Amino acid sequence: MKMKHIICILPFLLLLISCQKTSEKQISYIVSKSISGFDVNYRTADGTLIKEKVEIVSAEDPWTYSFVAEEGDIVFLSTIYKDISSAINVQILIDGKVYKQGSSKYDTVSYVTVSGTVPYE
Amino acid sequence: MRIVSNLITVVIFSIFSSVFAQQEKPDTLIILEAVEIIESPVAPQSYIINSLDRRSIERLPARDVGTLMRRIPNVSGIRKGGAMLDPVVRGFKYSQLNVQLNGGHKIEGGCPNRMDPTAAHVDAEDLRGIEVIKGPFALRYGPNFGGVVNMKTKQPLPRREFGINVGAIMAYESNWNGFKQRLSVDGGNDKVFFSLSGNMKKYGNYKDGNGNEVKSAFEKYNYTAQLGVSPFKDNYLIVSFDRSYGKNVMFPTLPMDEREDDTKLVSLDYKAGQISNTFTAFRAKLYLSDVNHLMDNKERPFSDTVVAVSDIHARNYGYRLDGIFSFGKNDVTFGTDYEHILKDGDRTKTRILEPTMPIMTEKLWNDADIQNNGLFVLYRRTFGKLLLDAAARIDYNRATSGELQLLKMGNVVYFNDDVNSTYANISASMGGLYQFSKVFSLGLSFGRGVRSPDMSERFIILLPIGYDNYDYLGNPQLKPEVNNEVDLSATLKFDHAGTLTGGFFFSYVTDYITAELIPETVAKPQTKGVYGVKRFYNEEHVFLRGFEITYRSPASKKWGVLAYAAWTRGVNPEVTKYIIENGQVTGKETVKNDPLPEIPPLEGTVEFFYRFFDRKFIPNVNLRMVSPQNDISQASAEDKTPGFILLNFNLSYEFNQYLKVTGGVSNILDKAYYEHLNRRIIGGKGNMYEPGRAFYINLFFNI
Repeated sequence: MKMKHIICILPFLLLLISCQKTSEKQISYIVSKSISGFDVNYRTADGTLIKEKVEIVSAEDPWTYSFVAEEGDIVFLSTIYKDISSAINVQILIDGKVYKQGSSKYDTVSYVTVSGTVPYE
Repeated sequence: MRIVSNLITVVIFSIFSSVFAQQEKPDTLIILEAVEIIESPVAPQSYIINSLDRRSIERLPARDVGTLMRRIPNVSGIRKGGAMLDPVVRGFKYSQLNVQLNGGHKIEGGCPNRMDPTAAHVDAEDLRGIEVIKGPFALRYGPNFGGVVNMKTKQPLPRREFGINVGAIMAYESNWNGFKQRLSVDGGNDKVFFSLSGNMKKYGNYKDGNGNEVKSAFEKYNYTAQLGVSPFKDNYLIVSFDRSYGKNVMFPTLPMDEREDDTKLVSLDYKAGQISNTFTAFRAKLYLSDVNHLMDNKERPFSDTVVAVSDIHARNYGYRLDGIFSFGKNDVTFGTDYEHILKDGDRTKTRILEPTMPIMTEKLWNDADIQNNGLFVLYRRTFGKLLLDAAARIDYNRATSGELQLLKMGNVVYFNDDVNSTYANISASMGGLYQFSKVFSLGLSFGRGVRSPDMSERFIILLPIGYDNYDYLGNPQLKPEVNNEVDLSATLKFDHAGTLTGGFFFSYVTDYITAELIPETVAKPQTKGVYGVKRFYNEEHVFLRGFEITYRSPASKKWGVLAYAAWTRGVNPEVTKYIIENGQVTGKETVKNDPLPEIPPLEGTVEFFYRFFDRKFIPNVNLRMVSPQNDISQASAEDKTPGFILLNFNLSYEFNQYLKVTGGVSNILDKAYYEHLNRRIIGGKGNMYEPGRAFYINLFFNI
């Protein structure tokens, strides 16, 4: 009799230890429309700030960086270019959807910075 | 035979209970095998003790302890989020209350804004009862200024024969779309006994009576393991371990939300009874609380510019030893206790709109440290119809911290290295209960309760932790606060008409700890939008007064009525009000007899119930009436709060010893309302409204 009751109660135990929904998100940084290269600062999955000088051969050749992040993680992408005839478009995508974006044209003074935290659902 | 069995169980439990002192109300015992509650006789007290037992808790949509406590007369809660309310008893709050677990286990929360007060670290489903001892009279529990809140958790019990019980709870609450579950296993014999349990709660945002969604979601998980042994007659030892987790707990009225909380509670209780004819009991408790609290502003609009994350580690450990001696009609308890609070934590600010994403780290607590050693003695004697209680304690309190400093870009914003303080505080109380007849008794108590300043009041470094819109600065040289209180209570008890109890209290608080504006040359505000910096100081004195009255119909009747009303008013005889124009302090004026802030208004509750089918089915209608609060503090820029009437319904049905169902409807009329103690939502959306109509059901399984 007791065993029968224990078996009845097992589903509740299973519910207690039931799996959590994953909070992982696919993050993509994209820099495009630059005709001659740019400097980029971006934050990686482990929180490191990377500074890179990127050479570009054509405006059709975007720079991308992807990683997996969790809800609440900071995403950060900042760029500047030195060619006065250039332009730039920066985007942060979360699971393929544009989360933040910015752009500039013929502006070699101001950084284009897009950033935020991966939203909680 | 049944009566004898019950009596034996009550006796065992009363020995085993962590709060069975001569001056305490005996516990309510829940025997899992038979799912029955046995009331032990209530010992008379010279001062007021209110309690909420397990059976009452089970009828409610128990989300958190603070919310439950609002069911106790003259107990309210400061709401900052969906749950984790911070209790207010007779207008006393924060460290003016001694909130503890199982008669002595203290917990220090991590958040400077008290999003995790002591009660937030205890799951409501682990409770077997809550006891509120009002006034500065009970001095066994540590320094007691305005009252003791004792959360009593379920503990394993010795059994005459080996047995195992399994219990489970499943519950759902609409509006929040909230689920909670519990599984527990307990068992053992008369020598070794144990319990294992786990709880989970997951609640979403609720809608208020206007249909507006309030960010109030939270998730809580915990598990508890307890082992007890009784190697000799009248000797009991229990080791308890509890680990709880909080996740994504929303606080729309605060600058941050709780992202994660990881709390460990460890305790060891030893009790020995009837050591000799005069040495009737010895009790020892050791405890440790370890709180890791992570919070951030990631779901606030200003995180678009600066992402702030605070990581706090708070520990509290200590002990209490006491022994009860009986000399004829005299009962004397001697005891000592110790509490050590340690707190350290940083706030990391990441400026995510700047091209180099600079990161700054600031100290929220800099190895702050408070220690308190106490010695206490309690005395009780009955002289005919007069019961006399007396108590005294001395506390030796010392505090220190790393330097209070705030640096910005290498520049010193604030610096203070005068951080040490030491106090010797003497508290005392005396009370009597005179039983004029079987029907009428009168109680009168006097008490002086002293508390040393808490962590925030001593060591907080420029954070907006108050009710008003200022950054606050700690003052390590604050003096202790003293509550001199007198309570008068009376009880009329008629066998066939019920019991009417009432009480009046008056408190004269000296060295009242509050805060005053300081010039920007001393400290500049660090939070956007605040009016300035206030530093804690000791105001000369304030008064509080109020009453509670309760009517309870006879327990022998099938019908039942419970009605209670309570009111408190606090007054600061002279206080400075700062005049704000265009977001800046432009002047000040003196206000005479300003009401103290965060005092709930007059309110009353009436419950009607009927016990059907041999008390197995009990529907209950609850009507709560709260008057407007117009006694508001000008100095704290409080707003008036409109009154409201709420209608609630609940029922309980015990199918058999294995299954019980409770449920009900809260706020049946879907009233849009907020309590006076609800904080304002950040972003100018006004006060945080309470939930609208919600249906709930609780299923209790027990085998």
